[in-house]
Amino acid sequence: MAAIYKVSYVVSGEEHPGAILNTDARPQKGDLVTLGSKKFTVVEVIDLIPSRGEFHYLHATLQKHSSK
Amino acid sequence: MTNKNILEAVELFDGATAEELESVAALCKEQTYSKGDVVTAQGEPGNELFVVCEGFVEVLRSSSSPELSPRSVVHLGAGQIFGEMALVDRGPRSATVKAASESTSVLVIRQDEFEQLCEQNHHLGFVVMRNIAADLSFKLRHRHLTGR
Repeated sequence: MAAIYKVSYVVSGEEHPGAILNTDARPQKGDLVTLGSKKFTVVEVIDLIPSRGEFHYLHATLQKHSSK
Repeated sequence: MTNKNILEAVELFDGATAEELESVAALCKEQTYSKGDVVTAQGEPGNELFVVCEGFVEVLRSSSSPELSPRSVVHLGAGQIFGEMALVDRGPRSATVKAASESTSVLVIRQDEFEQLCEQNHHLGFVVMRNIAADLSFKLRHRHLTGR
């Protein structure tokens, strides 16, 4: 079975509770993420805890996406 | 995608055999919600476990002060579970959960049927309890990181 990335998304600089979801691909710095109706940019990704089986546990920091 | 395919990508069932997943999948019922619909309400009795299939749900906690608005705790997306605390401690719902996407679909598993399955199959019971503990730990780490 392919890797599954369980990601804790934390929003920096904004009143947002963040999100937890599974993704098929490891998030990368610069990726765009949509949470609800808001778009964010991934600014940092770290391994939160060691992987177990196919599951990888990540923490990604997000900032509000600027469309400039 | 079948219920079994969905459950294969859910951490709660990591380590379960294909046969065990089939057994759990047979208990699942899919429900869909529109944005803002309440899935569970804080304080009410809870006897179901939920798996997010599509979209997001928002978890909100009310304080004891009625004048304060409920506080958003986290958004949960694909592959995440909620309602698991009632499964562990049989207490009332600890939070209100609302659909946060226009099309939100979840799998619903009745607590009594799921517990009966785990009683009959101790390997499945062990896998589920270990993974519930891991999931609660992950949610706690997320909460620490958000400072909420």
